[in-house]
Amino acid sequence: MPHTPQAPLFVREMALPTRFALYVLVCLLLLALDTRYSALAWLRGGLNAALHPMQRVLAAPWEWSQDVAGFFITHGELKRDNDHLREERDHMRIAQQDRQTLLAENNNLRQLLELPTRPDTASRVAEIVQTVPSPFSRKVIVNRGSAHGLAAGWPVVDAAGLVGQVTRSYPLTSEVTLLTDRDQGAPVQNLRNGLRLIVSGTGSDRLLEVRFLDMHADIKEGDLLYTSGIDGTYPAGIPVAQVVKTEPPRNTPFARAYCRPLGGVGRYRHVAVLKPLEQAPAPTPKP
Amino acid sequence: MNGARPLLPQGAELAAPPNRAKVMATLFAALCLTLLPWVDGLRWLLPDLTLMVLLYWCIHAPRLVGLGIAFFLGLVTDVTHGLLLGLDALAYCGAAFVVLSLHKRLEGFDAPRQILQLAPLLLGKEALVLTLGLAFGRGEADWRYLAAGLVAILLWWPLATLLDRISGRPALPEKAVME
Repeated sequence: MPHTPQAPLFVREMALPTRFALYVLVCLLLLALDTRYSALAWLRGGLNAALHPMQRVLAAPWEWSQDVAGFFITHGELKRDNDHLREERDHMRIAQQDRQTLLAENNNLRQLLELPTRPDTASRVAEIVQTVPSPFSRKVIVNRGSAHGLAAGWPVVDAAGLVGQVTRSYPLTSEVTLLTDRDQGAPVQNLRNGLRLIVSGTGSDRLLEVRFLDMHADIKEGDLLYTSGIDGTYPAGIPVAQVVKTEPPRNTPFARAYCRPLGGVGRYRHVAVLKPLEQAPAPTPKP
Repeated sequence: MNGARPLLPQGAELAAPPNRAKVMATLFAALCLTLLPWVDGLRWLLPDLTLMVLLYWCIHAPRLVGLGIAFFLGLVTDVTHGLLLGLDALAYCGAAFVVLSLHKRLEGFDAPRQILQLAPLLLGKEALVLTLGLAFGRGEADWRYLAAGLVAILLWWPLATLLDRISGRPALPEKAVME
């Protein structure tokens, strides 16, 4: 074989089909272990930790170019931004004062009614560094991992509302499954009447749905849905979605409602990862 | 026979056969290219460059790459996709196996003619990943990702030419005659 350099004189290896069959077996074994038993977290974590520095280096030039573009910003733009932020800060201050008095009042009322106090959550800010290039899922990678104390299952929010949940934590990064992923759901409560529902993703960035809705459920266009906190994962009161359209039952006994996610799913660069509650969540009183 | 291909390699090919360093370097470069932060909206158009470079070397240096490297590259791709572990590894091994068993035939064709024989592989890989993902219950597949296979087919000729230049392989004569 003149065209294949380093050809051995004697063939001492298994035939190609045999080797292929072995590799196929190994692949199928890996697939089965990964889907049925999720037993390969260590392999995935190790390979990911090895790849992470490479990905950071590759992304660096792009980030530098963003920085350089950000440097040449005009005075007018800065001034406008500054005014806008100042105004927003004043609004926030007023809202914060309101919140303080409401919190105090809430605590007092809870004490009077002998209800357990509302649990507090700690948050960690993380930056989205990458989206996962896969045809199946809506996931992003953030630059905080188990080394920073993150763990799978923690809820992720941004300034506007719920974004998703940490589904895998690697040493230096974590994988966040967005709320819009088809397999992702969140228990919510209708702000208008306290109706409890479960919102699930549809696989589209702009649409969530309530799948198994009672035919006579009181839900209307424009209703705001907030997390109810009854699952022990998401703290109560995070804005999730706004109802866009309700659909009467057609071939199924259930109605459906479509909603628009309120959080900037797939828009923001920074998100906050909330540490879930240590103790069992306080039961949310029915309004 | 003027335009006939010589039985033994001549000139540049004889002087510089593809060596392990070059093969590994190009494979690594292709992997890095796929790891670049591409625009999200165009992800489904991104061809699997790692697989294409791997297949090129399976044709032209079958002693230097094999199923082991295909398996490892597939695993790395799987980890970056965060999808099922072993999915891309299986697709890569399958494609490498087909090309390795046909490399003697494929070597005799120039890049445009190779496309016709590699197209089912490049398209089939995307289809296999999508179907297996569906079979293992990963929700709904985004079928636009099949377009990546088409882009890979279109890119084969330029990529093969580039790798020919890198490896110092002389272009096949216009009318290659298989003796």
